[in-house]
This record gives sequence, C-alpha cells and structure tokens, in this order.
Amino acid sequence: MNRFWSLVFLMVPVCGVATFVVAPYFQIWFPHDISEHGRVIDQLFMFILWLTGIIFIVTEGALVYFTWKYDGRTNPEPAKFSHGSHTLEVVWTILPAVTLLFIAIYQMNAWADAKMRKPNVPITAEVTGRQFNWDVRYPGPDGELYTPDDIIRTDGQVHLPANEEVLLVIKAADVLHSFFLPNIRMKQDVVPGMEQYMWFKARETGEFDIVCAELCGWGHYKMKGRVTFESREDFDKWLKQKSDEQNAMTIAQTKAE
Amino acid sequence: MSTITAGTHVHDHAHHGSVGHFFSTYVFSRDHKIIGLQFLFSTLFWFFIGGMLALGVRWQLAWPWSPMPILGNLLYKTEGGQIAPEAYTMLFTMHATVMIFMVIIPILAGAFGNFLIPLMIGAEDMAFPTLNMLSYWFMWPAFLCFGGSFFVAGGAGSSGWTVYPPLSLTAGSGQTLWLIGLTCVGVSSMMGSVNYLTTIIQMRAPGMTMFRLPMTIWAMFITAVLQAFALPVLTAAGFMQLSDRLLGTGFFIPEGWSAVNSVRAAGGGQPLLWQHLFWFYSHPAVYIMILPAMGMVSDMIACFARKPLFGYKPMVYSIAGIAGLGFIVWGHHMFVSGMNPVLGMTFMVATMLIALPSAIKVFNWLGTIWGGKIQFTTPMLFAMSFVSMFIIGGLSGIFMAATPIDIFIHDTYFIVAHFHYVLFSGTAMAVMGAIYFWFPKMFGRMMNDSWGKVHFLLTFVFLNCVFFPMHILGMVGFPRRLADPYHYETFRHLQPLNQFISICAICMVASQSIFVVNFFYSIFFGPKAGRNPWHANSLEWMAPSPPGHGNFDFQPVVYRGPYEYGSPEVDIDYYPQTMPPPENKPPQPAPAH
Amino acid sequence: MKLFSTTYCVMVVGVAAALAGCGRPAPPTFRLDMTKIVANQIIPKHQQAIADILGAMFGTPDEPYALPETGLDVRKLKMAAGPVWSDQVGGKHGLYRRQCAHCHGINGDGRGPTAMILNPYPRDYRSGVFKFKTTYNPNQPSDDDLRTILHNGIPGTAMPSFAVYPPDDVDALQEYVKYLSMRGQMENSLINYVRDELNFNPVTGEGDDLDPAKNEDQRKAIKSMLTDDVVAGWKAANENVIRPEDSKLPSADRPAKEIAASAEKGRELFYGTKANCLKCHGPTALGDGQQDDYDNWSKATKKFEDETTALSASIKTLMESMASQQGDELEASRNDLKAKRKELAEREEVIAQLLPPRNAIPRNLREGVFRGGRRPWDIFHRVNQGIAGTPMPGTGPASAGAQGTLSEEEMWNIVDYVRSVAFEPASRPQMKPIEMDAIVK
Repeated sequence: MNRFWSLVFLMVPVCGVATFVVAPYFQIWFPHDISEHGRVIDQLFMFILWLTGIIFIVTEGALVYFTWKYDGRTNPEPAKFSHGSHTLEVVWTILPAVTLLFIAIYQMNAWADAKMRKPNVPITAEVTGRQFNWDVRYPGPDGELYTPDDIIRTDGQVHLPANEEVLLVIKAADVLHSFFLPNIRMKQDVVPGMEQYMWFKARETGEFDIVCAELCGWGHYKMKGRVTFESREDFDKWLKQKSDEQNAMTIAQTKAE
Repeated sequence: MSTITAGTHVHDHAHHGSVGHFFSTYVFSRDHKIIGLQFLFSTLFWFFIGGMLALGVRWQLAWPWSPMPILGNLLYKTEGGQIAPEAYTMLFTMHATVMIFMVIIPILAGAFGNFLIPLMIGAEDMAFPTLNMLSYWFMWPAFLCFGGSFFVAGGAGSSGWTVYPPLSLTAGSGQTLWLIGLTCVGVSSMMGSVNYLTTIIQMRAPGMTMFRLPMTIWAMFITAVLQAFALPVLTAAGFMQLSDRLLGTGFFIPEGWSAVNSVRAAGGGQPLLWQHLFWFYSHPAVYIMILPAMGMVSDMIACFARKPLFGYKPMVYSIAGIAGLGFIVWGHHMFVSGMNPVLGMTFMVATMLIALPSAIKVFNWLGTIWGGKIQFTTPMLFAMSFVSMFIIGGLSGIFMAATPIDIFIHDTYFIVAHFHYVLFSGTAMAVMGAIYFWFPKMFGRMMNDSWGKVHFLLTFVFLNCVFFPMHILGMVGFPRRLADPYHYETFRHLQPLNQFISICAICMVASQSIFVVNFFYSIFFGPKAGRNPWHANSLEWMAPSPPGHGNFDFQPVVYRGPYEYGSPEVDIDYYPQTMPPPENKPPQPAPAH
Repeated sequence: MKLFSTTYCVMVVGVAAALAGCGRPAPPTFRLDMTKIVANQIIPKHQQAIADILGAMFGTPDEPYALPETGLDVRKLKMAAGPVWSDQVGGKHGLYRRQCAHCHGINGDGRGPTAMILNPYPRDYRSGVFKFKTTYNPNQPSDDDLRTILHNGIPGTAMPSFAVYPPDDVDALQEYVKYLSMRGQMENSLINYVRDELNFNPVTGEGDDLDPAKNEDQRKAIKSMLTDDVVAGWKAANENVIRPEDSKLPSADRPAKEIAASAEKGRELFYGTKANCLKCHGPTALGDGQQDDYDNWSKATKKFEDETTALSASIKTLMESMASQQGDELEASRNDLKAKRKELAEREEVIAQLLPPRNAIPRNLREGVFRGGRRPWDIFHRVNQGIAGTPMPGTGPASAGAQGTLSEEEMWNIVDYVRSVAFEPASRPQMKPIEMDAIVK
C-alpha cells in the first residue's frame, strides 16, 4: 500500500489532461464556429485552458510529489519545523495577482466587441421568446419594424443573412429566456420588459440550433429553434416569399412547405 | 425522529430517567454538542434525499423519457414511469435547494460550527445557548416547508434554486412554501452567526489570542460575518418575492406583464432586481459553503503532516480577503443577464482577483505537506483530495470570470462541473473527512479506518468520473436544466458520455452505503477512542471523548498556537495548546513567520 | 472488522433484494373516459367489454393497431407510439410520448401531468373536435389543418411549433393524433350504444352481454359506428374544406387605401348588431366583453360537477324524508340511498381527476397574437366558421349550401379590421355610445 495513495492522486492530473487530449477525437469539443468573433472567444478559451492546464499540472504534481516523498512511513527525516516563509508568500501573491489582472485586461476588448459596441446598422429582426417557442418579426417591405406589413413567424425558424453584420433585438413575452447560438458563440438572456440587442456576423451559410439557455418553465427543453444563414439574395427572396404567404388569400399557400 | 433517538443512545451516560429531563437534554437541548449532532443527523438525512434527487436528474439525462426503475413505478405510475418534464425541473430545483440550504450550509455552520467552536476555543458552551437551540429548531419549519412542498398541488418549487422571477411568480403553491422555507433557513443561520461571533470574541480560554485560534475557528468566524451581513438582503428579497406572489405587489414584475394568459399585471418592477439581491447574498453564500471546509482541511492537513501549518497568518488574511472580495463579485453570475455590460467589466476584475486568496491557500497547503511526515489516515485522504479537487474547481472558475468566455459557457455544464468540483469534490469531501476526524470526539469511538479508505477511494474515483467530463460537455455548449438535451442536433452525440456519467453517479451514491454502515456501526461498536486519538494539538482533543456537559474537566489555559507539530521543544511530535512549556523556557508568543 | 464486513454484506444483500422486488414499471394502458362511464352509470361488466372492444380495434399505447377501415397508417402509428427509443438504424419510436404525452396525456385526453399548469388546457382529442381548421364548424379537421398546427404551433398557448423536426416525425404525430381521436370517438359511441341499446341495472351490476364475437347484431352495429360515425367524418374532412369564392377574394396586392377602407367597413360590422363581435371581444377589442362563458370541454366538466352537487343535495333530501318513513317505503329509500351514495362516491373520484373548469376568455385582438394563425386566410376561417367547441360563432354558412349571417365580402372586411386593430389607438372613440349591459344580457 505504500505509495498507493500518491498514485491515486497522480491519476488526477494524468486523467484530467488525458480527457482534454482525447475529447476532440470523439468530436466532443467546441461546436463548429461560424462567426467572426467566435474565433476570438475560442482563442481566449484555449489561452486560459493552456495557462490553467500548466498551473494544474504543476500544483497537482507538487501534491503528488510531496505525498510520495514525505510519506511518514518511508521518510526517515524528521518533519521540517517551519511556520512558513515570508518571501514565498510574497512571491506566490504577486505572481498570480499579475497573471490574473493580465487575463482580466486581456479579455476586455473581446467583451466590448461582443456586448458594448453596437453596430450602427438597421435591425434585421426582432426575436421574442415565449413559453416555449421563438417567434420572429422581420420588417416588411417598408423596412421598418412594428408596422402592419411586418412578417411574423411562429415556427421557431429564424432566417438571417450571412456575411454581413446582423443586429437583432431580442425580447421576452413572459418569463426569462436566453437566446443562445452555440455556433455563433453568442448568448443573451432576455428579460420581460427589457430590450436586448445582439449582433454578430456569420461567415458561413447553413442551418444551426437555437438553444434556450435560461430556465423558462417545464417546457424549457423543448424551446428549440433553428437559425438558417443564407446569402443576402436568398434571404431577401425568402422574406418576399413569406411576406406573400402572409398576405395569401388562397388555399394554395396554406400547405406547409 | 432518527436524529433524536440516535442522539440519546450516544449520550446515555448522562441519562436520568424522567421524561421532562429527556426532552430538555436530548430534544430541546441547549448543549452545543447535542445541537451540533442534531444538525449533523438532520443534514445527513437530507444529504440522502438530495442525492436521490440528483440520481433522478442523472437518469433523465442518460436515458430521457425511459421508465425510471423502482422510483418511477412509485412516483410516475400513470405516465408509465417516465419523468415528466415538470417533474424534472422540480428534481434539479429541489436537488440544489436541499443540498445548499439543508445540507452544506447547516452541516458546516450548524453541525461543525456548533460542535467545534466552544471546544476549540476552550469555552464551556456557546454565548447564547437558548438562541443556539432556536437556531436548530428554526430549521424544522424549513424542513417541513421544503419536504411538504413535494405533496402540494403542482409539486415543489420548480423554478431553479435561484427562483428567478417572473417564472417563479407563475409557479404553484410549492414555490410559496419554498420561499417561506428559505426565510426560516435564513433566520436559523442568522441566529447561529450572531452566536458564533459573540462566542468567538468573548469566550476564548485564557491565553487563546485571536492568532492562536485554529483555522477552523477563523473560518467559522469569517463565515459568521459573511452570513450576518449578506443574509438580511436575501431575507428581504425573499419577502419581496413573497409579497409579489401573495399581496399583489410588483417588485419583480415588469409593467403590463402576463404569462400563461394570466391577467396583465400592473407591475412596474424589474426582474433583474431579484437577480442582484439574490446574488448579493448567494455569492457570499458560495464562500459560506467553502470557507469552513477550508478551515477544517487546514487543521486536518497540519495534524496528519505532523508539521505546523505553512503561513498561518497569510491563511487567515486570505480567508478575510475572500470574504471581503466576496461581496463585490456577485455580478459575475449575471454577465449575460441583461445587466449593463460596463458593470460586467468591473465584476470581471473583482472576480479575477478573488482567485488570488484561493491560490495563496492552495500554495500554503502544499507548503504544509512539504517536508512533513504524512500519515495517510482516512481524514487526511479526504483533506488532500479537497486540495486536489479545489485546484480544479478554482482554475475552472477563471474561465467563467473571463466575460467573453462566459458568454459561451454561461448556463452550460461547464458551470455545473465548476460548482460541483467546489461544493461536492471540495466541501462535501472535506465534510466527510471532518466526520472521520472528529467522530471520536463526537461519539467517543473510532470509525473503521480500512473501510473509510475504501469509501474514500470509491468516492474519489467516481466523483472525478462524474464531474470531470462535465467540463467537456460545457465546451460543447451543453446547457443545464434541459429535460431532453438530445432534441438539439448539436448535443445528440453527447448521450453516451452522459450515460457514462450517470452510471458513475449511481456507483458513487451506492458507495456511500459503506459510509452509512461505518458511521452507524461505529457509533455502537467502534473501538473506544481516548481523548486524543490523532495526537492533535487543539483544545477539543484535551476534553474527554465525548465531552460531558461543560466540555472540559479542567480549566484550559493556552500557551501557544494549535499547529506546533514536531516542535523541537518537546520530545513528542505534537505540542498541545494547553501543555505548559518546559520550566526553563518562557512561553512562546503566537507563532510568527 | 469482521463483524463490520458482515453487517455491510447483510445490508447490501437486503437492499439488492428489495430493489429486485420493485422491478420496472408496467407499461401504461389506455383508460376509459370515466366522466362518461359514471355519468351514464355503465356497469363494470360493460366497462370491461368496452375496453376489450377498443383494445381489439386500436391496441394499446405500446402496441397500436388500426383496422383497415380507419385508413390509418400503422407504420406511422408505431413510430409515434410506445416508449421512447431509437433502434439500431436510427429509426425513432415513442415520438408521442417524447413530444406530446406530458400535456395531452397517454390517452389523448388533454390531462397529462403538465396540463394543470397550462392555460389554456391542452386539447382533449377524444371528442374529435378541433378548433383551428378550414372545414365546417362541426366537421373534423383536414390533414392539412392538423399539419399547419403542428408546423406553426399555437401562438399564445403552450403549443410549440414542430417545424424544426423532420417531416416524417411530424407526419407520424399527426397520424397518431387522428388515431387517438378516432379511438376516443369510438369509445364515446360505444358508451352511447350501451346506454341506449342494452339493458342493465347499475345497482346490481347485471345486464345484457356485450360480446360482438358472439352476437352478430352487435358486431354489425359496432362496425357501422366505426365506419359511419367515426371514420366517415375524417374521410370527408379533406373534401369539406371551405373555399371562399374567388370573385369575392380581395386581391393580395391591394393598395393601402383600399385596405383601410375595407377595414373601416369591418369596424362598422364589428360594432354593429349583425356581427356583434363586441359582445365578447369588448368595446375596445381587448377581449373584455362577456367573459363568463365556457368552452365545450369545460362545460362538460362543469355539467358533471353540477350533476354531482345536485346528487349530493338529493341524498340530503332523501335522508331527511327517510326520518318519517316506515316499512317497505323506508326499505326502498334505503336501497335508493345506497345506490345514490355509490354513484356519488364514484363521481367524486372522477372529479378529483378532472381539470377545474375555466371560463373561455375572448381573444384580445389588440395583441396581434392569433392562435389559429394571422394570415388573412386564417382569420377569414375563424370569422366564417367560428371556432369549434368554443363560444365563438361562425358568421358564414354552417354547412355546404346554407346561408350565413354575413356575406363573404363583409367577412373579408372584418378580417381587414381585425388585422389592423393592433395598430389602431385604443382610445379611438366608438361609433356611437354602446350600452354594454344591454348587449351582454
């Protein structure tokens, strides 16, 4: 049993690092990133992952080494009668403090880009979370929201143009929800009575999940939506089609697509 | 209840026969040790309930909508044993509620705080014994409210443990009971904290200066300060929400608000206000849930490394630093809540800085075992696992503190992994270690060490299997609180990993049976422990095991700090605080560094 | 140490044995509509027979079955029914239980575990009545109607959109809804058949046999119930879709001026006595008119509750009169009392399971949220045939060839007004002073 416990504690850094090394091979990693700033967030994550990973290995390694070396049954030396070291305390106060402050300041630009520097573009759509659906309202042909020609969709599908800055106004109809686009690395809680804005630029076209990330009641799990990024032409075409469908007077267009 | 009967067996040496005496000694006792044990047994009972609720959550995440064995038949028979989504929200809400408010906070402050504070400072009891008794009995209305809420129409609270309005305002009467229960827990903690502060300040034994207090007491002291300053805010917020629910006020209701087609409310309030008030308490509460564990771990590590605690004063200052900074970081729970993003920046800096005192503590624990003669007893293993796990929990906190990253990982399993590493792998493991460590003092008998090690090994292995992969889940964006995450194409491939986690969780809970049997078996049949089975220094080990009424059979006088292990002044490798120094040497001042 | 191990082993074995005893839950079953059973005092023997017949015709929640006459696709039903699982090639099963059952219930009775916390309550499919459709008010909805609801959800309720799921899944669910609905209608017909055609005594529990396997007449009667009462309505639904006359259709690209003029006409109709919309939707279209009516589902519950109250009152009277009775008269009253008490107990048991009746609140038209859809086409259908099962009446013809209250042109005017009212200031004065009391009463 000697050394056994050191080996048990050794398993923590070994398995911990192994998990992060192996996970990408099982595709259990960041979801595919399609946004401009998503790359920045992923890079910041990886930067902190490497930094904390090294600290993790060093501290856990020290723990394992000390348990190995200073096992009371095998260590012939008497215990060191030390109450601490002033120098060491100063060192391990200042080093982490500087590192942590650096991390904090290093993040600020990305945060400001994501949440503070609202672009000066017209609103692409209004998204409203309600129990348990995402409803979307696009400005109609007149290009303005909240006029009678608005296009309102309640089928949980959001169409947005790719390769251009998109500005969404997001709202809640009843309780808190959170509009989460994993592939865009964007998330914003929506609060009833408040308007939130979200902006991003998708680099790819395709269909992606919209996830509700704030508990909104028993049906929280089923508040699934799909966002479709398409080229500007396709998006305009789609808008026109939906606008026509909304004003449809004949049965031909009541069929679901 | 089991609490009381178990207590009576333990202390039957003080038994005198009459019924009135029985009640005043064991039920409505004012003795801090009995109250501590009452807290211990109650919280361990709720620990079991909370664990079962967690297994329900894990079952649903691994095999959504499939009939749950055993319990499914009892609880959800009409739907073929499957957990309905509103039952799932109730499961995770009550899991968190039970674990936080009825297990971790009361087991640290209530059970260990009560039992240890007078013993470790050399007092014969708390400053206010009746208040102390009330602090336990105020838990019972909470137990009844939380427990009873499972049986009211609509079930127990299901708006998450954070009870964010307006969702919580639409919930059924279980939510009202939840809020009343929370208030009672608050009152109980408040009475406890006032008592602890007074006791620690006023009732220390002669010679016990503040800087000769064991770390456990320092941690309890600062925890009590945190509670005393943060709790009133939560209690007030709880009353505000109650009045929104019952009296028709609109603190948290926006203007013209309605949900599920209710009549529009006059409102005029702001849902975010609740989040600010709630986290103003609940962030310090996070430290209320870890600081006492840190204190107890410091004591255990120094004792079993047979070496003085490395950097006693920095340890004290860092606890105080955590407590101070703990009041100005609550906003990091709200980075994406709709709070002004400028505030997010300041909260990010404060949050980053709070990692600093935690880091200092880890380095000092490592410094303590460096150069020691480590005894791998069960409590030591738990204490070292606390350090090892706290490193993970602390480092993962840095990801969340970084606001841009938090945009992505907020409300994902990364958060779940983080706080379970701190609260389960950290605090709960420290608590188990502390039970093994102070069990001889509580019951006069030793727990079985070999089975304790088996228990430790299984728990340690399985908890890492359960919680470590959750970091990776969070990196995929896997959200919390979803009854069926596999709806989403993005998360469909995560089901096998979740099944692995759930199987490990079941094994982890099953391995706690070893602890349960060991615990109850040892109360009755464990080998008798002497006064000081671990050869520790602090005052409680000088008292009889278990200590009688009034604790000490002599007047303790303190000559030195509690960590003088391996001192060259004496031949033995420990140096009790009460042991007079050798004739030719003057008493040492409090240890400096 | 040894004693400790022994204790531990004994405990583990004991717990394992206890767990093994509990096992897995039994599969769920269809339950009969006890409201109707108890209201008609159907005896247990017939209840069993009804359940057996339904079982033979429709199978169980795990193993659904459909007779060829129903025209249902059993392959789709199997996809929707049963517990949730995926087979090895990725085929999905249990879609209904995954997506629908927690609200609409295993039986499709709208009484799943979450039903209580929803407003409006989830639909009870068993009467075959659906609100939002393009067919005449009393008819079943067409396949397209069901698909539209699944596709768009019902805004303003807890019914979400299923547009994000694969079309095959949605088709299977749609088929399963029809299946549950047919099963419920069949159950209703069988109960009525037993009530009207068979002799039985609720007190003794004795009565004629109901056994279509042996009794040729019963077999024929049941067959005709299925084909004529149940399936025919569904089959006819797709042909009974109402098509507004092309000549009356407003063109899709009318100029704004024309729409405004039409809406103005619609406004007059809205406040006029002919259409009388304001009776319920209120003088400001906020849905604040008559609010104390019920929809059919709540009405049925309320009726059952009222009958129960009356029954318990009659028990009280009977007991009072018994005080002065003697001999045979008293004996007869005793038997009567016994029967009534039994019925009361049964009724109270059923009431405990029912959702408390709720008033049907007229739509607030100023929110711009329309449950049946907000296209002119959708709103036209609401105005034309009303909303089945609710107090909302139709202003168009009630069946093919009948005469409606309003002309199609007038209905389109109302459609235009309803679409514009959300953008009209609520403070705009009324046409003339309206005496609400006179209208509501």
